[in-house]
Amino acid sequence: MRVLLVEDDPTLRAQLRAGLQEAGYAVDEADNGRDGHHLGATESFDAVILDLGLPVLDGISVLKRWREAGQTLPVLILTARDSWHEKVAGIDAGADDYLAKPFHMEELLARLRALIRRAQGLASPLLQCGALALDTRSGRVTLNGQPVNLTSHEYRLLSYLMHRPGSVVSRTELTEHLYAQDFDRDSNTIEVFIGRLRRKLPPETIETVRGLGYRLAAPL
Amino acid sequence: MPVADPHWTRSLRFRLLAATLIAVAVALVLVGLLMAGLFRDHVMRQFSQGLTAQLDQVTARLEFDASGQPQIDPQALTDPRWSRPYSGLYWQVDGANNEQQRGALRSRSLWDATLILPGDMLADGVVHVHEVDGPDGAHLLLVERTITRDELQATPWRLIVAGDLRETVSAVARFNGILAASLAALLVLLCAAALAQVAIGLAPLRALQRRLTLVRAGTAQRLDGSFPQEVQPLIDDFNAVLDRNAEVVARARTQAGNLAHAIKTPLAAMSQAAAVALQRPQASADLATLVEEQVGVARRHVDWHLTRARAAAAQGLPGARVALQPVMSGLLRVMERVHADRRIDLQCAPMAAELAFAGEVQDLQEILGNLLDNACKWARHEIHVSAAPIESAGGARLRIVIDDDGPGIEPDRRDTVMARGARLDESVPGSGLGLAIVNELVGLYGGSVRLAAAPTGGLQVEVELPRG
Repeated sequence: MRVLLVEDDPTLRAQLRAGLQEAGYAVDEADNGRDGHHLGATESFDAVILDLGLPVLDGISVLKRWREAGQTLPVLILTARDSWHEKVAGIDAGADDYLAKPFHMEELLARLRALIRRAQGLASPLLQCGALALDTRSGRVTLNGQPVNLTSHEYRLLSYLMHRPGSVVSRTELTEHLYAQDFDRDSNTIEVFIGRLRRKLPPETIETVRGLGYRLAAPL
Repeated sequence: MPVADPHWTRSLRFRLLAATLIAVAVALVLVGLLMAGLFRDHVMRQFSQGLTAQLDQVTARLEFDASGQPQIDPQALTDPRWSRPYSGLYWQVDGANNEQQRGALRSRSLWDATLILPGDMLADGVVHVHEVDGPDGAHLLLVERTITRDELQATPWRLIVAGDLRETVSAVARFNGILAASLAALLVLLCAAALAQVAIGLAPLRALQRRLTLVRAGTAQRLDGSFPQEVQPLIDDFNAVLDRNAEVVARARTQAGNLAHAIKTPLAAMSQAAAVALQRPQASADLATLVEEQVGVARRHVDWHLTRARAAAAQGLPGARVALQPVMSGLLRVMERVHADRRIDLQCAPMAAELAFAGEVQDLQEILGNLLDNACKWARHEIHVSAAPIESAGGARLRIVIDDDGPGIEPDRRDTVMARGARLDESVPGSGLGLAIVNELVGLYGGSVRLAAAPTGGLQVEVELPRG
């Protein structure tokens, strides 16, 4: 999953980046509202963590511009301004969730996971595809109840596919969402990981749709 | 700084003076026209009556000779003006239907001129009045009468008397001149009076301006002195605002001071622990725990004092009023998002659109936000919210009730839960200040909070607040 982090305080930004990357997210950053807005508008992200007190253009304005342009990307507001008055303003401006500083990294990650999941219309934290189950809270994958051992890359790939059950996901989309902007995008990497995943999962779980991409086979 | 609009409608003085000037000028012009008109009418009527009297005399002296021609004995008309050439008083007799008989008889004053009459509907005996040109460039007023002898087929004759209007006209002109001059003088006097009136009337506003300058410069804290009764209420309200501002500033200063003092303790604890950890790196785990704990303490202090400062600032502002329905909807939208995963059914009973809280919107949001957040955190499946107006000993109030179907709070622990920093369950995230903040804010507004058991089995929170 790819996340945009817009936060002007360098210490906090570094801490958040580290925490997010450790949790398996590809992170792109901006330290002011204008760059943040531009990135969010031009690249595709699975979620945005947006601070409100930004230089050049403030967070609420960035959010409003995204929403006015019809962009539905999930946004979690992270800010020291935690009065209910400001929370209502933030949600009404189009935020999907609101977390006040200071916060615990675990809570941020949990909310982020839930946000991404809800954005895909998946109501439960437990994703299922036939006999395959992925618990987004614990990061554990089971097949018929038996745990499946996956590397972090394999997990991220499978998680992305399981967030879009039954939809075709192109190689480009996978590359964009699993790796940050500055990653050397060699699309062969994806094929390698798809191959490795297929070896660990039941056959026909991941279909190749010729010319379009991959699809997680919906249960019969 | 806003600059005074140079547009002329913005000056009070100009408005007052312009209105007066226009009104006075219009009135005087109307009066002048009326008086001039009346005078001219009167003078003309007098003149006309005089001429008619002369016409009667001429009529009386008219005789007809054997052939039916009119005759007048010049000796019989005694007024010397009849004989003096171009005297200004003339008589003439015309044959009514016969152009050749115009000027059949004329006074000596006409000399060689003839009065030419406009055609007219002839009516027997009635005097007609005309204005015609006369000899020597004069303008004449003319009266005429048509008479017929008593016989059949007798020709009617027009008897004419005319008088020079010159003197009359100059009299009228003289009158008009004096009238215009007098009215102009009156206009000037009235304008001067208006100017004086405006200056005297607006003088208190200038005094007010001077006082305001003093306040702005910081020399004075209030607007002192007495002002006319129309302006005094404004002055009183302004002074009340100034007083309240001073109070707000004082309170804010106090709150900031309190917060600063409160924060120093956790900071000191953390600083001390850091110093220890620097010396004994193996104690760094202790440092981590302490920092975590003290951050929590500091956060609670910040939340507490911030809320108090915000609420204190809102205290006592007259006319603060906020509709309840939109605030409730806004908060429920936030609850839906923030607690989305818990999938709680948020039910809100419809409330009247005019139901309003007599206070600031931020305070209402803080009170309801904390209560709804608590309810959502603890509820299993649903929360119910309702609001209604009530009358109480404290005046017009709102009663808001929030029910959840969570575990509720036992009656004997309900008091302790309102205390600052008290938390009954550490497993649910939060700083533990929510209910305490609510209690504090509600108290500042003179309202009340009551905890009870909800019909659904959980906690019922009933808040009463002043109604606007």
